[in-house]
Amino acid sequence: MKIIGVYSIKGGVGKTSSTVNLAYLAAAGGHRTLVWDLDPQGAASYYFRVKPKIKGGGRALLRGKRPLDDVIKGTDFELLDLLPSDFSYRNMDILLEGEKKKPTGQLRRLLRPLVGEYDYVLFDCPPSISLMSENIFRAADALLVPLIPSTLSARTLTQLLGFLAKQDGVGALKVLPFFSMVDAERSLHTDTIARLCAEHPEILAARIPLAAEVERMGLHRMPLPAYAPSNAASAAYRALWGEVERAV
Amino acid sequence: MNPVATDYLLPPEQDMDSIAAAIRAAFRCEQEPPASSERRFFDSFEWSLYQAGAALEEVSAAGRRELVWEDLADSGAVLARQSISTEPGLVAELPLGPVRERLAPVLGVRRLLALLTLTSTSRTLRVLNADDKTVVRIVLEQARIVDDGPGHDRLLPARLRLVGVRGYQEEHAEVSAELRALLPLAPAHAPLLLEGLAAIGRRPGGYSSKLDYRLDPGERAEAATRTILLGLLDTIEANVDGTRRNLDPEFLHDLRVATRRTRSALGQIKGVLPAAIVADFKARFAWLQQVTGPVRDLDVYLLDFPTLKADLPAALREDLEPLKDWLAGHYDAAQRALADALAGESFARLLREWRAFLEAPSRPGADRAAKQATAPIKRVADKRIRRMHRRVLDEGRAITDASPSEELHELRKSCKKLRYLMEFFQSLYPAADIKELIKQMKLLLDNLGGFQDLAVQAAHLRETAAMMQAAGAAPLGTLLAMGALIGHMLEQQQRARREFARIFADFDSDANAALFAQLFTPPSALADAEVSA
Ligand SMILES: Nc1ncnc2c1ncn2[C@@H]1O[C@H](COP(=O)(O)OP(=O)(O)OP(=O)(O)O)[C@@H](O)[C@H]1O
Ligand SMILES: [Mg+2]
Repeated sequence: MKIIGVYSIKGGVGKTSSTVNLAYLAAAGGHRTLVWDLDPQGAASYYFRVKPKIKGGGRALLRGKRPLDDVIKGTDFELLDLLPSDFSYRNMDILLEGEKKKPTGQLRRLLRPLVGEYDYVLFDCPPSISLMSENIFRAADALLVPLIPSTLSARTLTQLLGFLAKQDGVGALKVLPFFSMVDAERSLHTDTIARLCAEHPEILAARIPLAAEVERMGLHRMPLPAYAPSNAASAAYRALWGEVERAV
Repeated sequence: MNPVATDYLLPPEQDMDSIAAAIRAAFRCEQEPPASSERRFFDSFEWSLYQAGAALEEVSAAGRRELVWEDLADSGAVLARQSISTEPGLVAELPLGPVRERLAPVLGVRRLLALLTLTSTSRTLRVLNADDKTVVRIVLEQARIVDDGPGHDRLLPARLRLVGVRGYQEEHAEVSAELRALLPLAPAHAPLLLEGLAAIGRRPGGYSSKLDYRLDPGERAEAATRTILLGLLDTIEANVDGTRRNLDPEFLHDLRVATRRTRSALGQIKGVLPAAIVADFKARFAWLQQVTGPVRDLDVYLLDFPTLKADLPAALREDLEPLKDWLAGHYDAAQRALADALAGESFARLLREWRAFLEAPSRPGADRAAKQATAPIKRVADKRIRRMHRRVLDEGRAITDASPSEELHELRKSCKKLRYLMEFFQSLYPAADIKELIKQMKLLLDNLGGFQDLAVQAAHLRETAAMMQAAGAAPLGTLLAMGALIGHMLEQQQRARREFARIFADFDSDANAALFAQLFTPPSALADAEVSA
């Protein structure tokens, strides 16, 4: 089982869209895949038409009152399941702090029983640095980081790498940044990409273009490649998934 | 992950479109466009997948080919898929992917063979909740068996498959109850694959090379012996076609094992079949063993090649490649010679006459010629196993650290005979006890086999090196690498030799002696022993 966190300190950079689309492609490639919607906003759950609700909330999961197995929902797509969000996740840090033993190892612990059941688990992460994100760093094999090619994105990447460098227990974590919402017409974008790629050879080659069709995922309430398989952004997600699969 | 699925059979007079219409009228649902596909199910010759509770099918639809791995026990839940572009065969030929990952440990070196081909048309209806989320799937499927010739295809009863979605159990239960009230549904008793196989008269799990005879202790020795030999003949015959076509190396392997067992049975079950017949067929099966040898040797080399290579220091590994080319280059000719021999008249006559002899009604005249023919099989088995056990102990105890390797070789032959005897006759003894003794026997045989095979391999490799050099096919580096390999083999062989004393002592334990005595001493002999005590 490979665990991939789709993560950024910044909001609105394409984390949820990427999680949903990549997970769909993983399952379409024949792999048993689980999306864990960790964001209390529940956007990923919404895209899969699943109610963002867990009986007993995050507390019941952490306390073992409700095994993950019981709350997983099948999506409309074969081999693709979802662990829905819950509004209580907004207080996740408080719940995690309440755990005496290893407050940063809880996600990892919760996932252990699912090891034989899934080939890939993708986390849709909320934008922040918190106890929850430390849990994500320790549970994940790879961190997929969307970057909008703007001046600020370089800073967020450096911040993240700096933060990870100071953390224990994340040595094996692969950081895989990629460009998201790329507007090839804008020279600011193309220039930033050229500059950042030179500084960070680990940035993946696939780039997700800015595309109106991606925004329509909210209307269709399904992954982009499911309703617009030949759209250029779908092709970009396929290329991205190919790279991620090889990297993890 | 696994949604619960239930299969129902639809009554024959119902047409699928009106059923679909009835379902649409009863539930809030979405119907997907009708789909047609070809479904080809695969397994190995020995039903490896079926034995592992799995089914593998190739689904071709709209120009796409996919391999789908299903859980046969869990009503065919899909566990992995992978697209393919070439005919499924050996694991090594498949592209990397989730199906190959599951297949590799189950299939080993065996080839996937097509079992059953269906053309299927299906209509899928998705039952939706208020968010238009699919909560249950209803699949109506009409499958047709495609046989070789046109006009031979057969319609299977149409099915309704109710597939739950994980986390929506309540909806599933509701839809299930309503559907059963709505339509005349009969639960299907077997998954589609098994129903299809039954329709074409194929029994899953119908081949195994394992020895599994049900003998009756009081049965006449001659009849029981024929039963054993007929079972071995069936195995030989079952593997001829796959060996001739060289589908995978296991066909030849099974054929050779059954041949070796036949020869052993002929030699070891003494005084039961007419002596002249035994002598004639022993010679003819020895011929079969000999003509099948060269290809098996090459198979073993090629299968072992990755291990052989890994045994070498990394710097020498690439130098070994010309050896592989050489072996592969000789393979075709050897295989052709083997296929010719198996297509020839002497082999056909051997099978024909052997079967005729084994199946002929007992001839009292001929039986009288063999003294043990009418004795109860249990008595013959006890005696043969006792004798052979005695011989193994005598030979083994005589071996010291200074004994020449021929003595170990002789001991190995005796051990094999003993093992085969126990395997042929295992149904005459308490299962747990005889299994334990066979296991002990195998441990000893592994040691002796390791010793002997390594010696043979090393000698063979030396000969091959000489031939390659004479043919100018071996660069110096290759000869040196082969030399290193021979050195490694001889070292391993020495290790096996050093371990022999300990392993034999384990076999020669008091506990084993007691078990042998208990199993193979006839009650009359026990009674005698008590009287004399
Ligand atoms: N490639 C794209 N082209 C155009 N719009 C996009 C693209 N990717 C994402 N969007 C849109 O941008 C918005 C933010 O995207 P998304 O929700 O995926 O980001 P996020 O990082 O998960 O946000 P948050 O931090 O709020 O969770 C959404 O409205 C989405 O439809
Ligand atoms: Mg989001």
